Amino acid sequence: MLDSLKQSVPNAPNAPTFPFQRTCPFDPPAEYAKARAAGPVLPVTLWNGSRAWLVTRHEEIRAVLADDARFSGRMADPDFPAITPARIRVDKSERAFVGMDNPEHDAYRRMFTREFSIKRLQALNPRISAIAEALIDDMILEGPPHDLIPALAVKFPSLVMSALFGSPYDDSEFIIRCAVARHGLTQSPEDAETKARELTAYVRRLIDHKEAHPGDDMVTRIIDEYVKPGRLSRDDFAEIGAMILRAGHDTTTNMIGMGTLLFLRNDELRRELVANPLLIEGTVDELLRYVSPVQFSPRRVAREDVEIGGVKIAQGDGLFLLLGSANRDEAMFECPDKVDPHRDASRHLAFGYGIHQCLGQMLARFELQIMYAAILRRLPDLRLAVPLEEIRFKHDMQIYGVHNLPVTWSLR
Amino acid sequence: MITIHVDEDRCVGAGHCVRAAASVFDQRDDDGIVVLLVDQAPNEMLAALTKAQALCPSQAIRILVVD
Repeated sequence: MLDSLKQSVPNAPNAPTFPFQRTCPFDPPAEYAKARAAGPVLPVTLWNGSRAWLVTRHEEIRAVLADDARFSGRMADPDFPAITPARIRVDKSERAFVGMDNPEHDAYRRMFTREFSIKRLQALNPRISAIAEALIDDMILEGPPHDLIPALAVKFPSLVMSALFGSPYDDSEFIIRCAVARHGLTQSPEDAETKARELTAYVRRLIDHKEAHPGDDMVTRIIDEYVKPGRLSRDDFAEIGAMILRAGHDTTTNMIGMGTLLFLRNDELRRELVANPLLIEGTVDELLRYVSPVQFSPRRVAREDVEIGGVKIAQGDGLFLLLGSANRDEAMFECPDKVDPHRDASRHLAFGYGIHQCLGQMLARFELQIMYAAILRRLPDLRLAVPLEEIRFKHDMQIYGVHNLPVTWSLR
Repeated sequence: MITIHVDEDRCVGAGHCVRAAASVFDQRDDDGIVVLLVDQAPNEMLAALTKAQALCPSQAIRILVVD
């Protein structure tokens, strides 16, 4: 193991251990602001003693992510930095385009971009709205109190993904278990790898099923368009499909939970959004900026010796691009620690930047806009049913959010 | 007047441009890649087009203000 440890990042006497802990559940670790003030990059020590760089400012993060010629996103690269032993294991076996460089990346991604085009998603919006309204109907019918996480935050994206992708809704629990095994910070490499294999095998079987029983869904369309003409193998499609299912099931959930919690703690914000629902669209991006649920990705490896803000980065050095730090960068956003529904937050980096920017980001925006609007309109006196201390924040996950959100409301 | 250039080879189909300026940008039906509906726009569109250029994750949009 030792011979594979990276030591090319300068052996600074006090390269702190990464990751850092949050002191306030709504703010990133205090070390991020200190790092932004101190310089463009910060050398850190990872769990296995290896070194990597943190990039913490908006400007440099955007520049590195835009520069796919000099910074590689190939996850199988032996120098690719990882936050846990389990993550190394699944990085090495990543076969979807999220772990590829160009030109391979674009060749695969382009087969899937139209599924997430603005027009395609706008056509899907009435279905997404109907799903949101039906879930809130159920909650209201059953009466308070409720844990909003299982009742809305988990079910909603699962039902939307089921409708869009074509995976039966009854399989959602299995898919979420597989996603959590990838996104956790504490699971074993064996468990992460097993769950990755199981999900790929599941999508592979789904492809066979859809070939025999076509439907109005993404799997069927990709089969007709790319698999049957021989442009995409069934195995490659299974890897990409597993990535899409993981990303669709375990991301929006966290923004629904955190966003709702922020509404419940900020009466002024909530009053403004209820009075002027047109503000909700921009507020979705403002909340994405403020929460920045993806904490330890994206990552890159320098393909050659480069400089970031005047600091020399050697070929083979690993970098963490801290989106949650970019999104609180005072140089880009005024009063970055305040949620402001009037702010133009569109330059936030919560979905990353560059060729790997989130494929499903427009779907996520539509889902959040629809769900936030529905919650604010239909549950006007929603409130926490427990003290804040009983909310369990996801300190154990790579994608931040809340595990529970017990809420109550008055019967009318 | 503003002239607009797009690089279809760099485009990754994120859709920010369509969101920022739907009268100028569209996405191809078959692969979601950018389509330029017009290659010139009046100066009143500057804010929207600047936003489209800034948000494009693959830097596939160039705008140029001309007289």
